[in-house]
Amino acid sequence: MTAVTDTVNAAPPAPASTGTPVRRRTVTPTRVWQLAGPFAVFAILFAVVAILTPGFVGGNGLVVVAQTATATLLVALAQAIVLHVGSIDLSNAAMALFSAILLAKMLGPIGPVAPILAILIVGLVGAVNGWLVAYTQVPSFALTLGMLGILQAASLVVSDSTTVYVEGNGETVTALYENAVAGLPMMFWVAVLLAVLLWALLRFTVVGQSLTAIGLNESGALFAGIRTRPLKVAAFAISGVLAGFAGMMIIAQSGSASSTGLGSDLLLPAIASAIVGGTAITGGITNPINVVFGALTVSLIPIGAAAIGIPPEAQSLVYGLVIIVVVALTTTRGRGVVK
Amino acid sequence: MANPVTQDHRQPAATGTAPVAHRRRFEIRSLGEVGALVVLVVVFGALNPSTFLSVGNLQKVLDQAATPLIVGVGATLVILMGCIDLSVEGVMGAAGMTFILTTLHLRGGVESPTDLGFLSFVLAVLVGAALGAVNGLIHTRLKVPSFIVTLGVWFVGLGIGIILFGTSAQPNLSDAAAQWPTRNLLGLPHSFWLAVVVAVLGVVVTRYTKLGRFAYAIGNNEDIARSNGIPVRRIKLYVFVLAGAFSGLAGILAILQLGQGTPSVGASGAAGSSTLFLTIAAVVIGGTSLAGGRGGILRTVLGVFLLTILNNGLLLAGVDPGYRSGVSGLVLILAIVAAAWPLRSRLRIVK
Repeated sequence: MTAVTDTVNAAPPAPASTGTPVRRRTVTPTRVWQLAGPFAVFAILFAVVAILTPGFVGGNGLVVVAQTATATLLVALAQAIVLHVGSIDLSNAAMALFSAILLAKMLGPIGPVAPILAILIVGLVGAVNGWLVAYTQVPSFALTLGMLGILQAASLVVSDSTTVYVEGNGETVTALYENAVAGLPMMFWVAVLLAVLLWALLRFTVVGQSLTAIGLNESGALFAGIRTRPLKVAAFAISGVLAGFAGMMIIAQSGSASSTGLGSDLLLPAIASAIVGGTAITGGITNPINVVFGALTVSLIPIGAAAIGIPPEAQSLVYGLVIIVVVALTTTRGRGVVK
Repeated sequence: MANPVTQDHRQPAATGTAPVAHRRRFEIRSLGEVGALVVLVVVFGALNPSTFLSVGNLQKVLDQAATPLIVGVGATLVILMGCIDLSVEGVMGAAGMTFILTTLHLRGGVESPTDLGFLSFVLAVLVGAALGAVNGLIHTRLKVPSFIVTLGVWFVGLGIGIILFGTSAQPNLSDAAAQWPTRNLLGLPHSFWLAVVVAVLGVVVTRYTKLGRFAYAIGNNEDIARSNGIPVRRIKLYVFVLAGAFSGLAGILAILQLGQGTPSVGASGAAGSSTLFLTIAAVVIGGTSLAGGRGGILRTVLGVFLLTILNNGLLLAGVDPGYRSGVSGLVLILAIVAAAWPLRSRLRIVK
């Protein structure tokens, strides 16, 4: 009897204690690819473009890519944090544009407070999304699709259906675009810094680990005593704040905003960036650092394709094909059902 | 010998009980949507009795609803499996351009008319089905989530459309073909009758065929469906092909309604808004679950009419086009919150 209970008692700790270290120690090709895949894909694509058009590197090819990638990256990070809890946000690109329009309106009258206010407002919109998803239990896809429509209308109303130009105090944000660090514009580095912060949040904090738990197994997280609903609201609010930063970058880059101008088609590239960056659409697996390379890759495709002389009418086709191939290469496959 | 017998036993049970339960749920749950539709008609009718309640406007609404209805049948089937098809607009572009570039040649013009005109329809629908097959194959074979595969194929389809569009002048459908959708049969436009045929086909498929029943089963629980011997991958492929073919057909119709070729025919359809988002919103408002397994074609039909009448009524009431997306969005949110309210529970998981 005692022998049996001993083995029974001994059995569970054994896999538990060896399980985690073993998984951390073994370097399987899959894990290496999961970690380095997005970077490798970007490096290879960049190398291909650089070899075919040597002028691309000597010119400011990388600078243009980094400029284009900035807003995409921020919206992609906004998407990644929501994907991380197993939801999706179709409205965050519209949030970015809405905050850009708000910022363009407010920058003149209230100066440096305007960016903070614009970011807070869309952060609040994100929180509303999260609150509705968590507390009324509606599917995030449908809810944020509705919110997308509302934000589009709000943008048109606020901008009066025209282009809103920044009147005064523009230098507060355009400095981000004009100043460069290590050859790349400051705004790109701000986005990268936010990616690193997000990575640290997910990796080292209780909140981050709880968000991961929700994404991997929401019922399990709930039964483990994690307060899943406030955390979902937090994830959506963070998403909104990041979208607000994206809006700020749109203003930094163009000095104006309109419903159809720069940043009006960020939604799909941002989703693609998040997924090319290895974010699992099912939740729980997100590496914000890799999303940086995802955004760079997605921004490189059209720029690189134009540089190597692919005719403009084939751009869309190439874009779609490369996205499919790259995602097929970098997507994180679990054992579970793929929907 | 034992096998056919057990199958015979299972078959009536599967097709016999499921539709009954389904039908009963449909009647109760859809009252809200039918009620909303009635309220909309009454309100807009009261606001603009002369314009909204005219026969001409009814024909216009039915014509506008046709494209989203056809796309909605395919989208519903895909969503029932728990997948999603975002490639709709790309497929419409590719198929629509295929149609317009082949139709004049195949019909042979006024001087030498041929009987080959139907071939351009077949070709365009085949292009749609082929793109659907690409969706299905990459999704099932390479295990890439349908969301991102179909996102990529959206761009691919659009790209094919743009390449077909080329840089030269486009043929204009100025002849009788362009008026086909809006010409009436029994007082209702042809385009609507086409949508009715597709919707009836969709209802038959979802209720009475293996393909449809298996689609529900896969959406409900893919693992259990697989362990019960359902060829999940094959069914998924067929459904994506079917959805692609319907999108292709919708592309032809949209081109005919527009009267000229453009690759972005799906982006600004007859209703003036994105076909994809309109259709998915309609599917969801109808009450089909995005998680799969619950819902049906007729619900989507209701959803399409709800959104089309809403758009049409707002337009006639003089609401600025910019605000219409906001009103549609608000209606979508209210509809899903109302639908989810009775189901709320602390342990319920919704993605």
